[in-house]
Amino acid sequence: MSTIDYLIQGFGTALIWYNILFAFVGVLIGTAVGVLPGIGPMSGVALLIPVTASITGGLPPEQAATSAIILLAGVYYGAMYGGSTTSILLNTPGESSSVVTTLDGYQMAKKGRAGSALSIAAIGSFVAGIVTLAALILLAKPLSSVAIKFGPAEYFSLMLLGLGAVSGLAGKSVTKALIMTVCGLLLGTIGIDSVSGIARFTFDVPWLYQGIEFLTIAVGLFALGEVFKTILEKDEEDAEIAKINNLLPSKEELKESAAPIVRGSLLGFFVGILPGAGATLASFFSYILEKKVSKDPSKFGTGAIAGVAAPESANNAASGGAMIPLLTLGIPGSGTTAILMGALMMYNVQPGPLLFEDHPQVAWGLIASMFIGNIMLLILNLPLVRVFAKIIQTPKKFLIPMIIAISIFGVYAVQVSTNDLLLLLVCGILGYFLTKNDYPIAPLVLGLVLGPMVENNLRRALTISNGDFSIFLTRPISLVFILITLLWLVIPLMLKKRGKDVIINIEG
Amino acid sequence: MIIQFDRIASVLFLAIGVLFIIGSQQLGSSSYGSSVGPDIFPLILGIILVLLSIRLFYETFRQNQQGSKEKLLYKPFLIIFIATLFYILTLETIGYVITTFLFLFVCFQTMERSKWVQSLIISACFSGFVYFFYVEILKGTLPDWPIWFS
Repeated sequence: MSTIDYLIQGFGTALIWYNILFAFVGVLIGTAVGVLPGIGPMSGVALLIPVTASITGGLPPEQAATSAIILLAGVYYGAMYGGSTTSILLNTPGESSSVVTTLDGYQMAKKGRAGSALSIAAIGSFVAGIVTLAALILLAKPLSSVAIKFGPAEYFSLMLLGLGAVSGLAGKSVTKALIMTVCGLLLGTIGIDSVSGIARFTFDVPWLYQGIEFLTIAVGLFALGEVFKTILEKDEEDAEIAKINNLLPSKEELKESAAPIVRGSLLGFFVGILPGAGATLASFFSYILEKKVSKDPSKFGTGAIAGVAAPESANNAASGGAMIPLLTLGIPGSGTTAILMGALMMYNVQPGPLLFEDHPQVAWGLIASMFIGNIMLLILNLPLVRVFAKIIQTPKKFLIPMIIAISIFGVYAVQVSTNDLLLLLVCGILGYFLTKNDYPIAPLVLGLVLGPMVENNLRRALTISNGDFSIFLTRPISLVFILITLLWLVIPLMLKKRGKDVIINIEG
Repeated sequence: MIIQFDRIASVLFLAIGVLFIIGSQQLGSSSYGSSVGPDIFPLILGIILVLLSIRLFYETFRQNQQGSKEKLLYKPFLIIFIATLFYILTLETIGYVITTFLFLFVCFQTMERSKWVQSLIISACFSGFVYFFYVEILKGTLPDWPIWFS
C-alpha cells in the first residue's frame, strides 16, 4: 500500500466518533496545561496516562492504544498553543517553550495589540503543525525502512546517542545529567531479566519482580515534585490580564508575519528531530534567527509581531518534529516523548521501525488525528482565548490538592498497590530536591523507558561478537553514532570552558 | 546549600553505584550458551555511576558558595505531606470516597484557611464524582466503602 492509502486509513481511524472526542479532550486539556504555570507538558501527559488507561480499558488493545496516544499527543501539542496565551497576556510563560514569546508578546499586549498577537500565535502554531505533519508523512516510511536494517549494535549506539544528547543538553551540569541517566538505566534493571529469567536486585520482594513501573516514577518526579515546589515556595502574584480588543490581525500584520512563520516552522521542525533539543531550544533559535534576518533588529523587544510569530511556530513545529524519531526509530528525544513512548509500551505497542508495519492503525491514526487536533486548536484558541486566560485564575488552594489526588487515583487505578503509592510519594520528594539542585529529571525517565531496550541490544550485539566490545566500533554506522554521541557531550563542555554561554534545554 | 546537597548526593550516588556493582557480582555471568549474562549491564552502569559521582564530588570544590536563602513554607508542606501519607495508608481499609474527601478537605484548608463551606462542597464533589465515574460508568475497581459502613 502506498503512503496515501495508509493516510486515508489513518483518517478513517481518527474520524471514529470516540477518537474525535479523545483528540478534542486531549487538546483541550493540553491548552489548559499550557496555560497553567507549574504544570508543563511532561507532568500533564504523565498525569493523564492512568486516566486514559482506565477510560480506554473497554476497547480492544490496539484501538485502546490508538485512542490513548491520540489523547496524550493532543495534550503535548495543545500545551504548545496554550503556553503562548499567558506569555502574551500576563508576561508569565505557562511553560518553558513560551519564555521567548513574552519578550515581544507582552509588549504587544501593552500596546493594545494582544488580540493580534494571540491570533498570530495560533495561526503560526497551526501552520507549523501542518508543515511538520506533511514532513512526518513524507519521512516516516523512508526513515523506518532505513532503521529496519539496523542490527543490535547499531541500535545500541543509536540509543546511546539519544541518551547522550538528552543528557548533554538537559541541565546546567552534564555530570549531573549523566548521573540521572545512569540512575534511570539502573532502575530499569530491577525486576525479572527478560533474557535469562533471573530476578535482579529484587531482594525477594514480590512487588519488585515486575520491575519499577515507569508511570509511578514519572508522575511522582514530575507532577508531585512540581506540586511540592508550589507548596514550599508559595508566591503570591496577582498579575492583571491584558485586555483583548480585536482578535483578528490586520492584513499588514499577516503579511509581516508570514515569512517568520515559515522560517520558524522549518527551523523548529529540524531542531525537533534532533534528540535532546526540544521546543524550548527551537523557540530560542528561531527568535535569534528572526532578529538576525530582520531589517530593523531594534524593533525586537518592543512588540515586533515577528518575535511572536516565529517562536510560537517553532515550538509547535518542534513538538511535531520530535514525534519522528519516536515513531520511526523508537527513540524519544525529550522527556515528553519518552513519556509518550512509555505510554505506548504500556499498551504493548513498541514504537520503532516496525510500528508502521505491525500497528499501522496506531501510527497513521495518530498522524491523521494530529491534523484534526491542530484544526480543533485553531478553532478553539481564536474565540475561546478569553476563557482559557481565565483558567490561570484557578485558585492554587484547590488546584494543588486536586493534582495530588489525581496522581494518587491514577497510579492506584493502574497499579492497584499501596507500595506504588508510597513510591510515588517518595518520588515526589526526590523530584522536588533533585530539580531544585539542578539535577534534570527528564534523562532519568528517558533512561528508565529505554533501559530494557538498551540492555537487550547490548547483550544481543555482544552475543553475536562473542563478548567482544569492538563490534560497536567496527560496524561503520554504529561507529558514526558513537562518535556523534562523544562530540555531543564534549563540545558543550569545551564551549563552557571557554566561557561561552551554552543554551540548555529545560522542558517540563 | 547546593554544594552541601551535591556533596551528600555524590556520596549517595557513589554508594548506589557500589551496591549495584556488588549486587551484579551475585548474578550469573552467562546465559544459555552466550558468554553475556544478566550481570554485564548493571555492572557497567555501576562502574560509570561510581566514576560520575567521584567527578561530581570533585566538581563541588570548584564551585563558589552561593548564599541565596529563600523562605520555605515548611508548615503547610509537612501537613500536606503527612495527610498524603495517611491518605495512602488508609486508602485500602477505609475506602476511596471517605479518604479522598478528608484528604482534600484537610489540604484545601491548609493551603488557605477560608471559605470552609466551599472547600467542603468541592472535596465532596471531587471524591464522589471520581468514584461514581470510575466505578459505575467505567466499571473500574477502587477501594470500596468500609464494611461497617454499608
